[in-house]
Amino acid sequence: MSAAPAMPNGIKKVAVVGSGVMGAAIAAHCANAGTPVVLLDIVPKGANDRSTLARGAVEKMLKTKPAPFMHPAFAKRVTPGNLEDDLGLVGDCDWICEAIIENPEIKRDLYKKLDGVRKKGSIVSSNTSTIPLGELVKGLPESFAGDFAITHFFNPPRYMRLLEVVGGAKTRPEAIASLKAYGDRALGKEVIGCKDTPGFIGNRIGIYWSHVALTEAYDQGLTVEEADAIVGKPMGIPKTGIFGLGDLTGIDLGPHVIGSMLRLLPKSDPLVQSFKPDHPLNALTQKMIAEGYTGRKGKGGFYRAKGKEAIDLKTGEYRKKMRPDLASAKVKGLKKLVEHADKGGKYAWAVASRTLCYAADLVPEIADDIRDVDIAMKTGYAWKWGPFEQIDMLGTGWFADKLKAEGRPVPKMVEIAKGRPFYKEEGGKAWRLTPKGEYAEIVVADDAWMLADKKRGKQPIASNRSASLWDVGDGVACLEIHTKMNALDADVIEIVKKAVKIDKQGYKALIIGNDADNFSVGANVGLALFAANTAMWPVIEQSISEGQAAYLSLKYAPFPVVAAPAGMALGGGCEICLHAAAIQAHAESYMGLVEVGVGLLPGWGGCKELIVRTLNNKKRPGGPMPAVAQVFEAISTAKVATSAAEARDMNIMTENDGVTMNRRRLLADAKAKALAMVADYKPPTPPEVSLPGETARAALSMAVEGFFLQGKATPHDKVVSAEVAYVLSGGNTDITQTVTEKQLMKLELEGFMRLIKQAPTLDRIEHMLTKGRPLRN
Amino acid sequence: MQQNVVIAGFARSPFTLARKGALAKVRPDELAAQVVKGLVERTKVKPEDIEDIIMGCAFPEAEQGLNVARMVGFLAGLPTETAGTTVNRFCGSSMQAIHMAAGAIQMGAGQVFVCAGIESMTRVPMGGFNPAPHPGLYKRYPEAYVSMGITAENLAKKYSIDRKAQQEMAVESHRKAAAAQAAGKFDAEIVAIVDGNNRVEKDGCIRADSSQESLNGLEPAFDKNGTVTAGTSSPLTDGASAVLVCTEAYADKHGLPKLARIKSIAVAGCPPELMGIGPVPATKKALERAGLGLKDIDVIEINEAFAAQAQACLIEAKMPKEKINLDGGAIALGHPMGATGARITGKAASLLKREGGKYALATQCIGGGQGIATVLEAC
Repeated sequence: MSAAPAMPNGIKKVAVVGSGVMGAAIAAHCANAGTPVVLLDIVPKGANDRSTLARGAVEKMLKTKPAPFMHPAFAKRVTPGNLEDDLGLVGDCDWICEAIIENPEIKRDLYKKLDGVRKKGSIVSSNTSTIPLGELVKGLPESFAGDFAITHFFNPPRYMRLLEVVGGAKTRPEAIASLKAYGDRALGKEVIGCKDTPGFIGNRIGIYWSHVALTEAYDQGLTVEEADAIVGKPMGIPKTGIFGLGDLTGIDLGPHVIGSMLRLLPKSDPLVQSFKPDHPLNALTQKMIAEGYTGRKGKGGFYRAKGKEAIDLKTGEYRKKMRPDLASAKVKGLKKLVEHADKGGKYAWAVASRTLCYAADLVPEIADDIRDVDIAMKTGYAWKWGPFEQIDMLGTGWFADKLKAEGRPVPKMVEIAKGRPFYKEEGGKAWRLTPKGEYAEIVVADDAWMLADKKRGKQPIASNRSASLWDVGDGVACLEIHTKMNALDADVIEIVKKAVKIDKQGYKALIIGNDADNFSVGANVGLALFAANTAMWPVIEQSISEGQAAYLSLKYAPFPVVAAPAGMALGGGCEICLHAAAIQAHAESYMGLVEVGVGLLPGWGGCKELIVRTLNNKKRPGGPMPAVAQVFEAISTAKVATSAAEARDMNIMTENDGVTMNRRRLLADAKAKALAMVADYKPPTPPEVSLPGETARAALSMAVEGFFLQGKATPHDKVVSAEVAYVLSGGNTDITQTVTEKQLMKLELEGFMRLIKQAPTLDRIEHMLTKGRPLRN
Repeated sequence: MQQNVVIAGFARSPFTLARKGALAKVRPDELAAQVVKGLVERTKVKPEDIEDIIMGCAFPEAEQGLNVARMVGFLAGLPTETAGTTVNRFCGSSMQAIHMAAGAIQMGAGQVFVCAGIESMTRVPMGGFNPAPHPGLYKRYPEAYVSMGITAENLAKKYSIDRKAQQEMAVESHRKAAAAQAAGKFDAEIVAIVDGNNRVEKDGCIRADSSQESLNGLEPAFDKNGTVTAGTSSPLTDGASAVLVCTEAYADKHGLPKLARIKSIAVAGCPPELMGIGPVPATKKALERAGLGLKDIDVIEINEAFAAQAQACLIEAKMPKEKINLDGGAIALGHPMGATGARITGKAASLLKREGGKYALATQCIGGGQGIATVLEAC
């Protein structure tokens, strides 16, 4: 499978030099994009295998979690080599990405060697985060400088969506355009063109923010738990918090990155101004590093013992982790948080105000467009809101007034705003404020948009509290689920019923997708639990029947339906995709039928679709059992694909389905796929299959019994998997008979109803709802 | 019509771990063909004299299906006139092949037979690709399909063989095999397997550093409350083996290297849930037919499907530990199911010659509850 469609960026083969953590993972991600990659490193002294560094890096990545490769088979696209014997391999590469040690002299030496073997017009870039571009090309030929740029990835490159691209004065615009196009379409990155300033955008703001959040926590006397409870979810930061983030990225990294920024920044920069080498926190982190407490990769960091202990910042001693008791951490909204009177609120204000002022003062120095700053922080540091979005949440006027009241200078961009928001929606369009104080339209490309861009200023075709139907242009409608976690309920099914009739309103295709992190986590089991606890069996049975009927109507709609999953598409969310005429999945889609986790089986056609798809896969091993066994294993262990590529292995996706690397292009690609299917579209013929019946159940039961004895399956697993086996084996059938789609769905319904009436199933549902993880009963 | 039947040659491939080992990428038919070819070349038997290739295989399907014996004949370059048949008695398959050859010879139905065995546990999973047990039998008598690991647990319980004792046998098996390997004692029996540019000539399952300590760390493999681990079970293995079976008169006439005479043979059934005890009744029958007692036996090859299983047989049949598996057993060498019977029978014959005794016994247990045994006599 090649995830990357052919594209006019000219980059068809890539070389990465340097097989350290970043270089190797960049190579892996190019391989994820379907590009052949050469990965080179030095020859270590006395090595038998002269390419051991690169080869070892690829092997290590196959064991790394989270996985740098989207599929283990993609590792074959990476050719390991060494810089002495294999330099010639870069000769036919279109892009050579250098990711070696941060030393300008060593880098320039390498560039000279590369310049001797690379093909004319190939692009060379550095993944440096600390060396200015001008310094890197010093003394190199003009022709080299013309082909040279900086491509700065964030760790881990597969998962962090930001790619900063920096061109120098001499860099050819076409080279930058190629890198940007490849980064966007093939690698799926949010590509931000940056100026050649220290730390570009992400690290410039991120390092200052981290410095402020850590030192303010110390200075204001917060514990690490308290600081993380504030500079965490309440401030739109990943729940690891700021100290937890240090543990994750490595505490030993801190002094290096801050040191290089201090060297590069002018004395007037707030980071240089506020950095105190003798701050007690620096002494503490130096001591931790010296003793091997470098974070999760070491003996521990600010937290240790699997997060059960935390360090006391003042004494340096570890103690039991405490649950912070801060009222401010529970308020809703950034403004209420920073206004809160407790120490959490004060801390939040200190961190937010200093960081936001710093960021706002850097436009236009590091970026002309405030949106670039916001996108960089959201995709490079996983902030929920960018700095300018945060100031909008506070109100530019309120923010300016508060700063003035505290006698602090107001950033120029905030003054320019004059109380107006940085972003606004008007006339069905989105606008951003420019450094000139005017609003400029945020132009949305036809082939790269989010659903929000299509919804702006429009009314839905149909809508209720759980789902809506939107016109996304060219005669295509989009079914959007918008419940909490995008869980499915009766209202979603109502909109599905309306969606299958949109041809009556002149629409010719439907896509199913949304802007949320997760496409859908599956059916709302809370509702099922309520109904079961009150023994409303007919209601439950009807909801399953109606879901089955609605999904079938999607499958047999007279127009093409394309599902566009991204993130989790679980249970009923996976089943809706299985009933679409095609799937266009984001590469980072995590699809699976996980119902057994709550003691149920996939009842909305999931068992049926997956067994039919697997039986129809011509590449599967022959005979009646392999398909049944494979699907049984996937469903009875609630297996979730860790990428779209893996969903293909599981037959959730077929050869006809597509993969989009860039999340922002997903819905556009799904729409294009749907439109391409419109001409002569015919709904599928209902499938009939031959299944082995009781014989298969005996074989599967033997396997489950083995797992039970081994302690890998629980008593209720046996009950649930027996019901799954009943459906997948075709019930009371024989291999010489055929089973229809309707019969399989009847088996699903019956099995589902038998399971939901069982107390251990209800215990599983309740456990999932209260604890957020499956009960192993 | 009674004639002396001899084993006049023994060859095998290296035995390597399934999936991870050096033979994982080699088709089983190809693997067996190279071994058969090696046997024919080493014994210098005239190919045109070979009546039949009898090939044991426990899961004869896919790449080891389609009457693999016939295909191996073609692959090994044997004459089209040499026939081929595939036989299945699970783990006893290739010892059964030897028994069938001996029987055919006694019927005057041929003078020379290649009796071989094959199993790629990498390329054909245990249970095959389409396991289809009889649902009624499974319901009425689930023991018929009991998993092999559980039968070992059952014997461990019945004979009170604790984990430490099982591990002792495993460590000893690895120690003996490692010593034999280091001393080059396998060199004469192994046929190097050529796979493209790759040449595989050494066994891959032996762990010279196996110890109680290293085995202590393993979780029970089949029953979370049990005592049998992967370390005290024979590993999933890829391998092939072959012996040349012929009349003694033919061997003498053509100067073939006689290893041992086949004195008696037997099979016996036992409860499937205690399948590992199968060697005991089979040995009893075979010894009776040979007119011998266990005290007369100098060399014993007993298959170590599981340490607990082999130990249960030693206890029940009162087999002396010092006489068994002199060069290590299946826990160390591996157990490619269809290939094991020819290996241990060929090995017992070779050891009889090497060690200079009078009688040898080769015996093994069989899934489904059976045992098989062969008594050999020095020539």
